[in-house]
Amino acid sequence: MTASATRQIAWVYDLNKCIGCQTCSVACKVLWTREEGEKHEWWCSVNTMPGLGTPKGWEEMGGGIDPKTGKPRAGHQPTRGEFGGGFDYNYYEVFYGGTAGKAHLEPQAPREGRWAMNWDEDQGAGEWPNSYFFYMPRICNHCTNPVCLEACPTGALAKRDDGLVLRDEDVCMGDRFCMEACPYKKIYFNYERRVAQHCIGCFPRIEAGVAPACVRQCPGRAVFIGYIDEEGSAVNNLVKKWKIALPLHAEAGTGPNVFYVPPLSPHRLNDDFSIDYKTPRIPPEYLESLFGPEVHTALATLSSEMEKVRGGGTSEMLKTLIAYKWQELLGPFTVDPADIVPTV
Amino acid sequence: MKVATVNAGADLADPASQAWSGVTAEAVALAPVPLAAQPTEYIREAWANRAYGKTAEARVAAATDGKKLYVRVEWADDAAPNAEFQDAVGAVLGDGPLDTLGSAASPVTLWYWENGRGALNLVSKGPGVVTKGDASAVGGTGANSGGKWAVVVSGPASASKGKLGVAVWNGSNEERAGLAAVSRNWLSLE
Repeated sequence: MTASATRQIAWVYDLNKCIGCQTCSVACKVLWTREEGEKHEWWCSVNTMPGLGTPKGWEEMGGGIDPKTGKPRAGHQPTRGEFGGGFDYNYYEVFYGGTAGKAHLEPQAPREGRWAMNWDEDQGAGEWPNSYFFYMPRICNHCTNPVCLEACPTGALAKRDDGLVLRDEDVCMGDRFCMEACPYKKIYFNYERRVAQHCIGCFPRIEAGVAPACVRQCPGRAVFIGYIDEEGSAVNNLVKKWKIALPLHAEAGTGPNVFYVPPLSPHRLNDDFSIDYKTPRIPPEYLESLFGPEVHTALATLSSEMEKVRGGGTSEMLKTLIAYKWQELLGPFTVDPADIVPTV
Repeated sequence: MKVATVNAGADLADPASQAWSGVTAEAVALAPVPLAAQPTEYIREAWANRAYGKTAEARVAAATDGKKLYVRVEWADDAAPNAEFQDAVGAVLGDGPLDTLGSAASPVTLWYWENGRGALNLVSKGPGVVTKGDASAVGGTGANSGGKWAVVVSGPASASKGKLGVAVWNGSNEERAGLAAVSRNWLSLE
């Protein structure tokens, strides 16, 4: 078991470009979580924010590291019901049951308390005409201080030299302290195989020079990957140089390595439907609750760069974010998966 | 503790079998595995103010048919089941420290049985610090009725001359890994 890495793979999701299409979620799902006990597992998921997300209410479930004491904080282990999903559907009844026009596809689970990944899609918050929401993809944060790793009594978790936090499922006993300790609640329990599971950063692809499925499949060109400490890389520029990509809930103290370009938003409308140019639709204090006080500077930087370009100037930052060439999103992992020669 | 010798063919694997009616069970006092011995800071912090290992007593019996050692453990548990964590029991064998379920220097063997999961053959180097061994070497069957668990775990008869302890996990209290009640003293099998 190791807890440090010499390099660190990082993701940057541009929330101004994420369209909530779930292609990343499905790309991950079909690649990694189609085996027994994995129906409800979505190692990559996109949720509407503000929202309860998955597992339901995860932001209130504790975990992480106490900034005052430096010690791990107790957390709640998300239950099967809080993750929800993994439903069976009444396909037979709809397609072969002679119930045309009467039966419709419906989860075969009690309606009361039903929940699933992306269950509260597009609900958001605020009131018309100033309602608002945005989409936020989430994966394991492959933290610099992985509290999941520390919590595990069997030493099943390790931080690789490239920064990915991986689990040896043969060593995992399913004790689920990792799930309690993780402040992002992005670890699932496989009730069939009695092991916990989480995003593996597509490490077999990484090792072959191929970007993770969630990155390569994104139709919105909304996600970047690369080594955070490699100067000149897109992720380094966005996070360290321009400081417009921020960690989610950094106060949890685990040093997440998934970063987000925060969402700009339209102006609010006044009661007479005139535009309040001073007030963004998404409350800045809400964004601060997610991304910390640096979010205000990041948004201001984004706005001023956009103004610059509108005025005829150029912006390396916006060129990077636009990603005219989609391979630029992939960092060093540009190999086409079709070109991989299987070794087993 | 006397290991009863039972005729081959007796169904010792079944805790409800008549074969156990003639085997004397011994009341064994249990105590929680110490918090300070829990292997990770997270566990010590998260459980600092939570009671665990409250199962105070178990009745333990041992028998062999010459091929396997069977350990029958019975304890009271009428708590509502927990959907996430299951009740479990382990026969502890070996020579390491019992109160911490072994240590790195002196591991113990756990013939572990968990409701819904079956039997596992574990090497334990401390509370919850376990590695999986050959599960085919061990067996386990359990049933809960009338607010009591009765479980039989079994393994090679070669363990019949060693020392025996038991550990109990209360699933309704989210007990797992080192969060257990373990017998206070070794029983010497003879």
